[in-house]
Amino acid sequence: MSEQRTIKKILVANRGEIAVRVIRACRDLGIPTVAVYSEADRTSLHVRYADEAVFIGAPAPRESYLKISKILDAAKQTGADAIHPGYGFLSEKPDFSQACQDEGIIFIGPNPHSIARMGDKQAARETVKRAGVPVVPGTEPGLRDEDILALAPTIGFPVIVKAVAGGGGKGMRTVRTPEELPAALATARREAESAFGDGRVYLEKLVEGARHIEFQILADTHGNTIHLGERECSIQRRHQKLVEESPSIFVDPDLRRRMGEMAVRAAEAVGYINAGTIECLVDKDKNFYFLEMNTRLQVEHPVTELVTGIDLVKEQIRIARGRRMGPTQSLMEPKGWAIECRINAEDPYNNFMPSTGKITSLNIPTGPGVRVDSGVYAGFEITPFYDSMIAKLICWGEDRGEAILRMRRALEEYTIMGVKHNIPFHQNLMNSFSFIAGAFDTKFVEERFSMTNYEDVPSEEELETAAIAATLFAHRQRQLASQVVTRGERDTSNWKWVGRWERMHR
Amino acid sequence: MKYVTTVNGKSYEIEIQADGSLTVNGEKRSVDFRELAPSMYSILAENISHELTIEQRGDEIEVLVRGHLYSSQVLDERALLMAQRTGGSIGDSKEASVKCPMPGLIVLVPVEVGQSVTKGQTVVILESMKMQNELKAPRDGVVQAIHVQPGQSVEQNKVLLTIS
Repeated sequence: MSEQRTIKKILVANRGEIAVRVIRACRDLGIPTVAVYSEADRTSLHVRYADEAVFIGAPAPRESYLKISKILDAAKQTGADAIHPGYGFLSEKPDFSQACQDEGIIFIGPNPHSIARMGDKQAARETVKRAGVPVVPGTEPGLRDEDILALAPTIGFPVIVKAVAGGGGKGMRTVRTPEELPAALATARREAESAFGDGRVYLEKLVEGARHIEFQILADTHGNTIHLGERECSIQRRHQKLVEESPSIFVDPDLRRRMGEMAVRAAEAVGYINAGTIECLVDKDKNFYFLEMNTRLQVEHPVTELVTGIDLVKEQIRIARGRRMGPTQSLMEPKGWAIECRINAEDPYNNFMPSTGKITSLNIPTGPGVRVDSGVYAGFEITPFYDSMIAKLICWGEDRGEAILRMRRALEEYTIMGVKHNIPFHQNLMNSFSFIAGAFDTKFVEERFSMTNYEDVPSEEELETAAIAATLFAHRQRQLASQVVTRGERDTSNWKWVGRWERMHR
Repeated sequence: MKYVTTVNGKSYEIEIQADGSLTVNGEKRSVDFRELAPSMYSILAENISHELTIEQRGDEIEVLVRGHLYSSQVLDERALLMAQRTGGSIGDSKEASVKCPMPGLIVLVPVEVGQSVTKGQTVVILESMKMQNELKAPRDGVVQAIHVQPGQSVEQNKVLLTIS
């Protein structure tokens, strides 16, 4: 399995910020790139940054980004010999990894077998359990509603309904009482059906007061499997992560060593190759349970990159070429602290309702310790077809305190106008005592955080400045408008006017 | 020119003279206001420096200062007079409507015409951006009319449901 292969051109089977991120790594390596785009994405940033771009169909993901035949056609047409799937879309579809293999195209990710084993949540649990990894109690997947309702009491409420094909919080519902279960099953199935084309669901016991902590795994074809430390992802809403950090304030060196060893064992249990993530729940007493493995690059991979100095996308490509990966040892001591805020086009003052429309102004923060992975630009139109995440703001500091202060500064500098976005949420979160103290679990945002708790009251000076600026702005606009009307003060043409003037003086 | 500008519910009387000098509620302010790029402004007020992003959005002017967004209304004397004459344009209308906040697909309308609803109750489930969004009743009342049905695609700002 360790033959070396060359990669001449990479097709990125994704869109948005992650497509841009992958294209950047390719450009760093001097590898030409091919973007694919739907009707809604002709003007997207990933198309602008790629060397070539191929149209693949209608805006609905099922007609374009999820269509294996169209992606493979695009690769053949452009002579791309490798495909990077990004996250979401086809990244965790074993059929896709298999189809690439069949066509002789390198899939930059794990083999179809590991994706299938880990993608089937039940098979994954069984496999890692045999390798001595602790798991959360639950039902097997794909049961009918009657069976699930019958099994639920044996697991014990509260439970979570999860989509078999799930990810990103879609098709997930928390259920506290047996009465709520039927409705939750129906909603979860509907959401899963429309997001993944697969309505199968299963139940899992809800671990109360749990933190969501995950480990980054890298494995190459030379028999090396290592972890790159943890990411704390407990700041979430409706199972959508909003803020991630590395390391976790909750993890001490001993826990990191034990969880890291477990994560490596879990990955080795399926013969995993390339980058992947072991997601765990950790309870108050630092007991940890394997939740699932994500067999792809994670949205939040930059926080690991900033505390390890490793470019994960470049490592993915290196591993896919059959080379030895760069790092040789698991990470025991992260360098400094990194925090990521997901910038979503969602209104935090209105139940996080997604917002669409044109971005009229955009100013991205820069300076020491600040990284922005963005998929949008000023003038870009956000459409309702895809995820509402438009960018990620990642800040690094020597320690957690410095990272938080940098994040506050960068959020102040970040200007996005034209659509509603969640920067005010992040500003409030970075002011919250619970967040600063590290006292939070996965329910913190939904149950104990409110936008009004930590909102700074605007200072008198700032309000007056805003009023003065708005007035001067309106005043100038009015002056401009009146100039247009007054320009032709002589209400006739200059020729007529000269004619009259000459007659007058005759 | 005299203006009345309202920000966050607070009103300021701002007068701009022909020579560009400015008073706020009768007090003189020294202000240097520059346009740097489209929508981007710099203001120096008594040496205090702020970068601002300013855009007109409908009737309102949006001002972004240090990550805080303010929606403001600027009325000149004539507009103020008009507003006073019509006696406050936004009265308490008897009907409230639930408008579609973004284009999407109606998944479910869990209420019926004639049904009583309470403020905050879910009245429409809309799918957009791969998420199911619950649209809530803006106030207590009775569902007067439902203008959409499940499976229907809807445009932004379409009235989905009215409550009286």
